[in-house]
Amino acid sequence: MNPVSLTRWLLLGEWCSHRLQSVVAVLAIMLGVALGFTIHLINTAAVSEFSAATRSLSGTSDLTVRAVQSTFDESLYPTLMQHEGVAQASPVLEITAGVPAKAKSMHNPVFKILGLDVFRATAVTPDLLGVPAEDRQMDILASDAVFLSPAAMEWLSVKQGDSIEVSAGAKRITLRVAGGLTRAHAGQRIAVMDIGAAQWHFDQLGQLSRIELKLRQGVDRDTFRATLSKELGASYLLTESEDDDERAHNMSRAYRVNLNILALVALFTGAFLIFSSQVLSTIRRRSQLALLRVLGMTRRQILRQLLLESGMLGVLGSLLGLALGYLLAATALYFFGADLGAGFFPGLEPRLHPDPLAALFYFLLGTGVTLSGSLLPAWEAAHAHPAPALKSGSEYTVLAALRAPRLAAACLLTGVIFAGLPPVDDLPVFGYLAIVLLLIGSMAALPYLCELFFSTLSRALNPNRSSVLYTLAITRLSNASGLAAIALGGVLVSFSLMVAMAIMVASFRISVDDWLARVLPADLYLHPTIHQDMRGFIPDEQQIIASQPGIERIDFIRSIPLTFDPARSNITLLARPIDRNDPGLTLPLTEDRLPPGDIPPDAIPIWVSEAMVDLYGFKTGKRVTLPFADPEQTFIVAGIWRDYGRIFGAIQMQLSDYRRLTGDDHASDAALWVKEGAAIDTVISALQALPFGDTLEIMETGRVRAVALKQFDRSFVITYLLELVAIGVGLMGVAASFSAQTLTRIREFGMLRHIGLSRRQIHRMLTLEGGLLAGFGIITGFLAGTAISLILIFVVNPQSFHWTMQLHMPWTWLLLMALAVLGAAALTAFAASRHAASGNVIRAVREDW
Amino acid sequence: MSLTPVLELSNVSKTYSSRQVLSGLSYSFAAGEYVAIMGDSGVGKSTLLNLIAGLDSPDSGEIRIDGKILPVEDEAATNLRRRHLGFIFQAFHILPHLTLLQNVSLPLLLNRLPLDRAPVMLTAVGLQGREQDFPHQLSGGELQRVAIARALVHRPRLILADEPTGNLDQDTAHEVLQLIRTEIKANQASAIIVTHSRLAAETADKILMLSKHGLTPVPLENQT
Amino acid sequence: MRYLWILLGWLAVQNMLFSAPPVLAPVVPGKALEFPQDFGAHNDFRIEWWYVTGWLETPTGKPLGFQITFFRTATEIDRDNPSHFAPDQLIIAHVALSDPAIGKLQHDQKIARAGFDLAYARTGNTDVKLDDWIFVRETDGRYRTRIEAEDFTLTFILTPSQPLMLQGENGFSRKGPGAPQASYYYSEPHLQVSGIINRQGEDIPVTGTAWLDREWSSEYLDPNAAGWDWISANLDDGSALMAFQIRGKDDSKIWAYAALRDASGHTRLFTPDQVSFHPIRTWRSARTQAVYPVATRVLTGETEWQITPLMDDQELDSRASAGAVYWEGAVTFTRDGQPAGRGYMELTGYVRPLSM
Repeated sequence: MNPVSLTRWLLLGEWCSHRLQSVVAVLAIMLGVALGFTIHLINTAAVSEFSAATRSLSGTSDLTVRAVQSTFDESLYPTLMQHEGVAQASPVLEITAGVPAKAKSMHNPVFKILGLDVFRATAVTPDLLGVPAEDRQMDILASDAVFLSPAAMEWLSVKQGDSIEVSAGAKRITLRVAGGLTRAHAGQRIAVMDIGAAQWHFDQLGQLSRIELKLRQGVDRDTFRATLSKELGASYLLTESEDDDERAHNMSRAYRVNLNILALVALFTGAFLIFSSQVLSTIRRRSQLALLRVLGMTRRQILRQLLLESGMLGVLGSLLGLALGYLLAATALYFFGADLGAGFFPGLEPRLHPDPLAALFYFLLGTGVTLSGSLLPAWEAAHAHPAPALKSGSEYTVLAALRAPRLAAACLLTGVIFAGLPPVDDLPVFGYLAIVLLLIGSMAALPYLCELFFSTLSRALNPNRSSVLYTLAITRLSNASGLAAIALGGVLVSFSLMVAMAIMVASFRISVDDWLARVLPADLYLHPTIHQDMRGFIPDEQQIIASQPGIERIDFIRSIPLTFDPARSNITLLARPIDRNDPGLTLPLTEDRLPPGDIPPDAIPIWVSEAMVDLYGFKTGKRVTLPFADPEQTFIVAGIWRDYGRIFGAIQMQLSDYRRLTGDDHASDAALWVKEGAAIDTVISALQALPFGDTLEIMETGRVRAVALKQFDRSFVITYLLELVAIGVGLMGVAASFSAQTLTRIREFGMLRHIGLSRRQIHRMLTLEGGLLAGFGIITGFLAGTAISLILIFVVNPQSFHWTMQLHMPWTWLLLMALAVLGAAALTAFAASRHAASGNVIRAVREDW
Repeated sequence: MSLTPVLELSNVSKTYSSRQVLSGLSYSFAAGEYVAIMGDSGVGKSTLLNLIAGLDSPDSGEIRIDGKILPVEDEAATNLRRRHLGFIFQAFHILPHLTLLQNVSLPLLLNRLPLDRAPVMLTAVGLQGREQDFPHQLSGGELQRVAIARALVHRPRLILADEPTGNLDQDTAHEVLQLIRTEIKANQASAIIVTHSRLAAETADKILMLSKHGLTPVPLENQT
Repeated sequence: MRYLWILLGWLAVQNMLFSAPPVLAPVVPGKALEFPQDFGAHNDFRIEWWYVTGWLETPTGKPLGFQITFFRTATEIDRDNPSHFAPDQLIIAHVALSDPAIGKLQHDQKIARAGFDLAYARTGNTDVKLDDWIFVRETDGRYRTRIEAEDFTLTFILTPSQPLMLQGENGFSRKGPGAPQASYYYSEPHLQVSGIINRQGEDIPVTGTAWLDREWSSEYLDPNAAGWDWISANLDDGSALMAFQIRGKDDSKIWAYAALRDASGHTRLFTPDQVSFHPIRTWRSARTQAVYPVATRVLTGETEWQITPLMDDQELDSRASAGAVYWEGAVTFTRDGQPAGRGYMELTGYVRPLSM
């Protein structure tokens, strides 16, 4: 019982007497864990929902045949069915149907309808068979019947027997809910209907999306796959269901990784705060620890005591963090949705799943980070020589022990090298590492920079001309730069992150705004309720739209998904009228383009987005074949354009070329120029009065831009949130280290009071010190932040999203931030110094003089 | 009195960054003796105390406590120190966040001894009834009384006191010195007190002068 | 008159909104069957089948029973749907093998919508296909069939040895007292079977005698009917016997029919009162708990036929896939106590009443 109560006395004594430091440490850990856990929870919710939605619908199929385009001719079905080696072939037509009733309340409300041949599907995808009412078995073939998964029923708020209205392009179809898909994956929002009915209602006669194959027993899948692949040629793709899952996983990967990195940055900031608070705590208690050593406490006991102390803080902080994280995640999901506004998981309504394993992980991470943050100072304290440590002023030797000049140099150098390395597996791993190294390196270098800066200041100082307070502050900072640097770490980390984000977001936003101005030259844009469905506008409807009065010019745009690589997400093919002599009129081209004269007559020009260059190696002037067209037909990459809309790649070509090659005369969108003198409103009302007017979404260019920018801002909600937290944590760090330091300096203040400084002067001296320190932190933070933003803009963004942007410095915003942090730091220092200047400091002098 | 000396220094030398502080120091301290060591600043008084306390180790020579060589290894030295030594400092070093009783109990806790001697010691140094007070409620003399109680509570063989009255005014210093002497004798401990103050040294049984020639006895003024 | 399991319920009147419901032809008396057209499919009728049952003998003299059935059924699907996948016509096939050595039926089934030349029932002559299962009548009248089932493969030639046997009034076969419940019905008894059964990779040459039933109709069972008992026999003296009774839900006899054609081609038809079925022995299925009269006495006029199964368990339980349960098995016949020949018996509606 004895050692236990000693431990407890020491713990309680420490915590009670330094509540602020303890609270700050707990808060830092709490915030770090909370952020990490929040992002993890949101990610898991979104990704589990997302993967449920995209989970392979291929059942037990051995092989899936699909085309590079979304559909292909059904004549392949009998061929495959009779193919040697094929036991069963199940044709599937996959429709993305819109739900007009939901168009008001959400963006692009769609769900998947699978047209299946129930007799073929039985053997391959038995989980996708509709369950009709007991007395209406024939409904599985009925042309008006649709079977909904539980998630779809819930989403549409319908039950068996109800009717639903869905849309395809400008067409509306009423279907009867004939039953459920009881065995659909949880959260999978899908419907199934007869394939014949689906082809008919959704204007896809003769078209299939894929054919699921079951191979005969004894047929080797890989051999068969190779043979069939050769037989079918480049316009068809063979995949296995694992490929589908991997592809779905890849789709959201860049996004998930980026968010997780942000969470780690928060934890890292928290770890640094713990480290600095522990350093200060051990410095402050140096003589006490030494006394305990003299009285006979062993090194191990001291180490254990200190680790226990911080471990308890870590446990408390982690537990609070988990609770807060859960709360934050629930709130964020409620207000912003699973993608936190980024638009990656449209239409999902994810639910928070309690995740005990992840909670344990973040708990251990939080506690572990705390322990490792205090390990170094605790080790130093336990191994300090007790005799000198009993004397005051010895804290400066501690800081010498914490200096790591080689670490600083190594981190900065490696960071620079890493920033130049290519992505790993499409992820900017080295870019992120470079950022982390930069942060660690600049913090490790901080004591030197600090010493350099303040000793320069102090040398430049003329004691006769400067005020005594200024002289004292500068001298102190210059001579105790190690201590100053510790207080500075928090400011450096949080301010540099703020700067980096501000520069990145500003650069991105300005680039997007410029881009929007170039990609939206027309007055009006219209598309069916649902984006990019297969049907869009048929020629008759295009004719009707084009013949409306008041229209000067109309461009129809066909936009279809193409699968280039089954393991990657689809790219988008956009066909629209493009002037081949001046494509820059319609496309936001980069400088990288062919002069119109260099386009050979035998090749069809295409213009590709930057992502195509990174992902598929398309280069200006390169001759390529496109898998949807005859392999004889060559295309030439005539230019590269910027695309902030489609990170998986896009190709633009002339509509006339596209129609000639494919015979597809549907249109997905239209861009309208209104005649001079005609009122835009009149044109809009005329369009809305069309028979299919209620299926149209008509937007004025200004609104498109506003909506796009709003989307953009929303997608950075999480970033802003993290920035606020980072700066909050940073300021708390300043407060904690200032109050800790003022306590260790209590005798110094007592002496100053003795020699005649007033209480107010001590306040002012400390505020000045705080301001100077924060000012220096802001300068270094600005430099580090700019470096990080350069890495974000020129390394991380191009590597993970495949777009480039120009650097724009938001000077006003940066200045405001700097002033805010400076003010906050000075205020913090002022508040922390109140205690320091109080009456009992005079007594403190007696203590050890 | 026991025949074995409580502390034996044989040929102890210590050099700090090329400055020889102690060289070939030898001396035997008899059990139950209360010895004062005086000397000029920088002559190595604190170094000698640190060496005896096992907080530092000699470059050469041996230090024996109760006939056993003081170990160099930290853990063993710590154990010996915890069991057999008591300390009184100039700066008191009373832990500010513990009550007086808790402060005095520290050596008992560390040695896993019953705690009932702590209040007894507090009473002995005249602080009865103030067990639950915190150090900041005390004057310097009172703090040093707590330190004396703490130094003796676990019945150490040897008390080391480093300028115990350096922070105290003359009247208080006198009281504290009397108390130290009384309590050392009451607890049958040996003691070494390092001090500048002739007045303080005069309370000891014997005064030794530390110089580069070693420890030389100085006659007491009021020797009887 | 054969099993209609898969169509039960499907044919229940559906109140869907159709722009173009199918128009089905009625079965009317007095229409002369025309061949070879009537060998082929009749797409205007709701349901139609080609139903072969028979006895086989292996080289070691072991008897086997077999059943090969192809159905065509017209669905109620909107005829306006131009899709090639529109399920206007469905093809269903069923195959079973009765081997006393195994003790229960080995069976398999398939179903597909007609289309893409993968599944069809052609008009003009018998030509039905469901993936790789085929049943084709050659110009010389022989039938060729190949069925690759899960447990065995049948490759048979069935050669006619007797003329067609038109059932009822020249092929107009009534199924109940009401006029609409009728079908067009002819049989081909004494088909000589030769071919190969492949089981577990082993080819077994077989010979035997089979019976082909052809029926097409748009309306079949009386609403009060629960099921039916049906027998057919290729008798040793060259005669052919077919009889059935339709049982009511109260187990009464709603309708009955029998026809006996002797080797010389003379046919005797029996009226419903002249035909009766009398169970001798029942067998309870452990799978379905249904009780089947597997041994039966059938009276046609003054003649008494006693029917004994090749084995008791010839129950076909396809509830897991198609949902129907019935008994369809190889049986031997005695005529007034004397061994007379071999044939097949079908017992339906014993698990629960069939409603149509």
